[in-house]
Order: sequence, then C-alpha cells, then structure tokens
Amino acid sequence: MAEQSHSGGIAEHLQYWSYSFDDSNPFMQIHLDTMLLTLFIATGMIVFALWLRGKLVAGTPTGVQNFMESVIDFINQTVKDNFPVYNPLVAPLAMTIFVFILLCNSLDILPAYLMHHVAGAFGLHTFRQVPTNDLNLPAAMAVSVFLLVLYYEFKLKPGHFVKELLLQPFASLLLDSKNPVVKLIGVLLIPLNLTLKLIEELAKPLSLSFRLFGNMFAGEVIFLLIASLLLSDSFSDIASAGGIVSEGMGLLVGLGWSLFHMFIGLLQAFIFMILSVVYLSIAHQPAEH
Amino acid sequence: MSIDLTFIAQIIVFILMVRVLWKLLYAPLNDAMEARTKKIETGLAAAEAGVEAKARAEAEIAAKLAEAKAKAQEIIAAAEKRSAEIKEDALNKSRNEAEQILDNAREEVHAELERARQSLRAEVASIAMLAAERIVEAELDAKRHAKIIDAIVQEGLGAA
Repeated sequence: MAEQSHSGGIAEHLQYWSYSFDDSNPFMQIHLDTMLLTLFIATGMIVFALWLRGKLVAGTPTGVQNFMESVIDFINQTVKDNFPVYNPLVAPLAMTIFVFILLCNSLDILPAYLMHHVAGAFGLHTFRQVPTNDLNLPAAMAVSVFLLVLYYEFKLKPGHFVKELLLQPFASLLLDSKNPVVKLIGVLLIPLNLTLKLIEELAKPLSLSFRLFGNMFAGEVIFLLIASLLLSDSFSDIASAGGIVSEGMGLLVGLGWSLFHMFIGLLQAFIFMILSVVYLSIAHQPAEH
Repeated sequence: MSIDLTFIAQIIVFILMVRVLWKLLYAPLNDAMEARTKKIETGLAAAEAGVEAKARAEAEIAAKLAEAKAKAQEIIAAAEKRSAEIKEDALNKSRNEAEQILDNAREEVHAELERARQSLRAEVASIAMLAAERIVEAELDAKRHAKIIDAIVQEGLGAA
C-alpha cells in the first residue's frame, strides 16, 4: 500500500509546476518551479557578490574571500590551461557556469519530497526541487555557449569555418584531386558534408545539455526510488519490525546515494564548465592551412 | 521533459547572470588577486634586489678590505724601505762626517806640523846665526850668508 502511494508520488513528483499561455501549443508554457528556483539562486549569488564586494581586503584574504579566491584561481587556471589566447569573457563565463550549476545540483541533497511537501502546504500539487533536472536550463546554457562558439568561429576565421561546413570530411575530393569526375563528386557531396558537419556541431550543445540533465534526472529518480521502496509513509509501518529495518536501510542507502550524488553534482558542474571552455577554445584556435 | 518558454527565459537569466556576476563577483576578486600578486612580485623583486645589493656590498667590502690590506702592506714595505734608506743615509753621512773630521784633523795636524817646522827652522836659523856670529865674530854678514845658513839649517833638520 505504501509502495503504491509512493509510486503515485514519483510520477507526481516528476511533473513541473507550470503555467501555460496557450494550451494547444506545448512550447507556450513556462516551468514556474524552475524559474523560481533559478531566480532564487541567481539573486542569492548577486546578493552574496554584493556582500563579499564590501568585505574584500587587499591584504591576506580569510574566510569566504579566501574560499572564493580559491574558486576563481582554479577557474582562471583551467581557462589558462585550455585557452590559446586571452579572452576576458571566458573566465567569468566559466565561473558562472560552474557555480550556478553546482548550486542548482546541490539542491538535490535536500530530502526527496521535501520541496514537494512544502509546495503542497501552499496549495501546489507539483514542484521540482532541482532546476538542472529541467532540460530547459541545461539546454539554455548549452545553446548560449554554442551561440558564443559560432560567434567566435565566424568572427575569428569566417572563411575557414564556412569551408569546414561545406567541404569536411570529403574536402580532399574537391581540393586535392585533379580528376574532374572526382571533383564533381566532391561538389555533389557538399550537401552531405554540410549535414554531417551540422550534426557534429549540434551534437555539442545536445551532449552538453543531456549529460547534465540525464545525470541529475537519474539521480533524482534514484532518490525517489529509495524513498518509495525503503521508507515508509505511515506510522503503523514504521512501528513494525520490518518497518524499522526498512527505515534503517533506507536512511543508510539514501545517505550513501546523497554523498555520491553530491560528488556527481560537482563533477557535472566541472564537466559542463570545462567542455564549454574547450569548445570556445577550439573556436579560438588558429585555422590550419 | 520538453523544451518550452522556460528555455528562452533561462537563456536570458543565464546571460544576465554572466554579465552581473562578471562585474560584481569575478572582476573585484580577480582585481584583488592580481593586485596582491603584483604586490608579492614587487616585494619578491625588491627582496631579490636587496639580496643582490647585499652580495654586491659584501663583495665591495671584501675588495676594499683586500685593497686596504695591500695598501697597508705597501705602506709598511715603503716605510721599512724608507727607514732602511734613512738608516743607510745616516750611516753614510756619519761615516762621511767622521772621515771629514779625520781629514780635517789630519790637515790641521799637518798644518801645525808645518807651522812648527817653520818656526823651528826659523829658530834654528837664528840660533845658527847667533852661533856663527859668535864663532866668526864681525865678519859674517847675515844677508850675504843667508843662503849658506839655510842650507846648513836644512841639513840640520834633515838630520833631526
């Protein structure tokens, strides 16, 4: 009975608190829980930045300033190791990606169903507690990075990028061969080249966003499974012998998964940041002739 | 799991967040770190310059000390040489003076001797004249027989 109740809870928990502008068009809706939490975290970061700004000391840093300087130093070093030239945008972008995703992922360590129940107290039936579990957020960040990559590709080496789009991977047929038939085949293959290159380029934001979303979504589902399978939701179940063993196991497994998932959250934030830096770095690499 | 208006809203939030956090969080921290790094680098450079200056000063002191020692040795050697020269000069001078005194004494003795001889000669001549006068009585002319008397005196002195 408890299982049935939690199973229903899992399905319910995976629904977003959304507002639809047009019911016939699924695109015309907005996930209010994702937006609310995102804005909450963004506002928190800005308030923290303003607070820290007033406390900055020129001498030996301590406490929060020391910790944040370590984060900035780590990000600067990562960017410096991967970037061929200096671009003032990249390090702040990497810092925002890393810190923002890490904070969003950290919400996953709150007990499963907690936010759902808190939202229930305000009359809401659904509420997702981790913004990165909503594909819209990772996709928005990945697409932003992808648009930046395209901008730098066109700005820094426009001819080379267009050539790559149209001629790779069969560029040698058109450029190296002296046989007119082979050259004609090379020309005919341009649409195929373009398709392959577009797939290759689009795979970058797709893989970037789905990696983060998939990992965090799977983590949340496992939390919900642990809660639904091992934790009882009625007092009579907890009071029984099996209930006590089940609760104990549920707490242990939940704690283990929480620790592991915190590490996953940190790792995913780092992977998203480093891949963004690498994609931007590739766009800044000088063209090979 | 669907893409909807949240996607557009999240792009806007993300871009604004990058812009705002760049200005409010990244830039002040990075500036503070860079200023500190620069200060530390300046301090290290100054310390290094100080160490170099100290080494230079020590080398200079050692060189000056060596130079002073050499100069002192030179002065001592010159003083020793000068003292030897002075000693030698004084010795030579005193030797010369002694020789001079001896020569003078010898010359004086010689002159005295000559004077004594002259005087003796004159005395002997007068004695001889007196004796001859007494012997020959009035026939002897002193001026006329002076030559003979001198010859006698000389003979007499030569025998003396």
